[in-house]
Amino acid sequence: MVTINSSDQRARLIGIFTFLGGIYFFLYFVLPESAISFIGVKDRHEAISNGFIVIGAMAIGLGLFNLVSAHGTRIVFKKIGWVYSLALITGLVCMLGVTSAQWLQSLALSAEQQRSQIISEFAQRIIDDADKTTATLTVPALQVRVDALKLYGFEHLSVLETKLLGQRGASSLLQHELQKNIATVREKLAQLDAVSWGELSPGSATLLKEVVTSGAKFSVARGAYLREAAATTTVQQLYTLLYEGFFNQLGSAMFALLGVYIAAAAYRAFRIRSVESALMMAAALIVMLGQISFGRMISDDMPALRQWLLEVPNSAAFRAIRLGAGVAGLMLAIRMWLSIESRSFSAGKKR
Amino acid sequence: MGGLEHATPGILVTVAFAVLLLLYELRRVERGYRHFIRRIPGIDAVEGAIGRCAEQGRAVVFTTALTDVGPVLYACLGVLHAVAKRVAGYKLKLIVPQYSPEAMVIVEDAVRGAYNDAGRGAAFDPQSIVFLSSEQFAFASGYMGLVHREKAGAAFMFGVFAAEALVLAEAGQQVGAQQIAASVSPEQVAFFICTCDYTLIGEELFGASAYMSREPVQVATLAAQDRLKLLFALVIIIGVLGATLQSIYPTWSLPTVDLFFTTEWSSLTW
Repeated sequence: MVTINSSDQRARLIGIFTFLGGIYFFLYFVLPESAISFIGVKDRHEAISNGFIVIGAMAIGLGLFNLVSAHGTRIVFKKIGWVYSLALITGLVCMLGVTSAQWLQSLALSAEQQRSQIISEFAQRIIDDADKTTATLTVPALQVRVDALKLYGFEHLSVLETKLLGQRGASSLLQHELQKNIATVREKLAQLDAVSWGELSPGSATLLKEVVTSGAKFSVARGAYLREAAATTTVQQLYTLLYEGFFNQLGSAMFALLGVYIAAAAYRAFRIRSVESALMMAAALIVMLGQISFGRMISDDMPALRQWLLEVPNSAAFRAIRLGAGVAGLMLAIRMWLSIESRSFSAGKKR
Repeated sequence: MGGLEHATPGILVTVAFAVLLLLYELRRVERGYRHFIRRIPGIDAVEGAIGRCAEQGRAVVFTTALTDVGPVLYACLGVLHAVAKRVAGYKLKLIVPQYSPEAMVIVEDAVRGAYNDAGRGAAFDPQSIVFLSSEQFAFASGYMGLVHREKAGAAFMFGVFAAEALVLAEAGQQVGAQQIAASVSPEQVAFFICTCDYTLIGEELFGASAYMSREPVQVATLAAQDRLKLLFALVIIIGVLGATLQSIYPTWSLPTVDLFFTTEWSSLTW
């Protein structure tokens, strides 16, 4: 009797999922656009692709687990270099904490701005709904909706004004701009009392449109004010210090090392020991001289020669490498898709 | 021709031909046909580099750098498997620094498989697969530190590289490690040639694992890709000849090779 062990089943399951995932993208690529649109996949393709990306993104947790496990063990057992591991874990915890706090803060900021947008959006919605036939609408009467808009608007603006009195952080210019916008919206909302709201007349529609415009300006001013105020919070300053102050600068420092390394590598490579290195040296010399004005002093043809070297032999070699790698990648991709894999790659196989 | 969202009939025919070619070569190899694979000095040097580490008691470092899950990673896995198997046999320390968490899981599986194949499954240490960072230069600095602290005796750099290539290769140079690199990124090949003992260029990376293992599946893939490449070379020659003739005799209206690949489904008349 043939028995199928668990690793065989696992490999088969992986093979099936790989094939199914692959066949979707394969068919999406090979079928004509009209056929894809006909079966209704065209509109959903982005969502499906994003789904695959989300599955891939889940793996980031694995990286985090590996980091904590490898460096945590080193710290606990005080292995060689445990201090570096401690620095890494401390950096990781700090960055995670500060980034999470900053993310929560930005969520709160968006919610705040959303509340201010409601005035303009609600007024616009009242206009839009009034344009449609009443038979299809199940919304309250126009008067009720306008009253609700005024109630929400006045209440929101009053709360905001009270907040602004005791708040500091953003520049007085932005605060002044916001207060000016609050006054305008309040004025436009007050003007809504001047007409009756039995039905939407051209005059009342104009008043509502003014609320829409002033409300939109107010929400933009509120957004700018909130962003500026958030930039002065401890969380944001810590985030800026860690990300822009440390992380970006350290990355730039590593990149700057390249300058020194290129010189060191060039020194080693350009020692003429063989015909190949002599050719390399000659080509490098021409390219370098063609790039600078000194090259033109030697010969007027130097820049053209440099250009020829880059565009003809260099491009030909690049294209050959890319073609070879592309074809090889295609074959390997087909092999992966069809799960025709070397048996020895799998951990469960023992020969 | 830019990126395509949907294949043209010509490309569909080419892809179908590639699939059939691969299946044909697999069948041929399974029936016992032996393909000749030319010598790759860089791969021949792998055994020597690992042996040198065994003599000096130094660690072996293998990185796939910025390679994400895809065909290039699978090409690297073949070499990693062979290297890990030899490292396990010599009872050496293997370190595999990782950039991509997704690739890390697959790499760990391949290394564990290699230890099992070498009959030393118990010696496999999951912590030898070290996740450093998904940020390019954070990864590079982590790699540098690792190579310096462990005083690596051999460093294998296989996969996709960008500006950090020289930083990684210089780290190995500084500790006197024997270095073998293979990259499909042509811009980085020059840096590797300057700093490494051996450099595999472009498709040699894909041929490396077939060369090392001589496994039928890998050899068949190598044979199929060589035949497809030959076909493309033929198409290029025909295209060049056609374009040359067209420029000499402008009155002729020769069909271009490009037409085969770019003609859309909607342009076909049935």
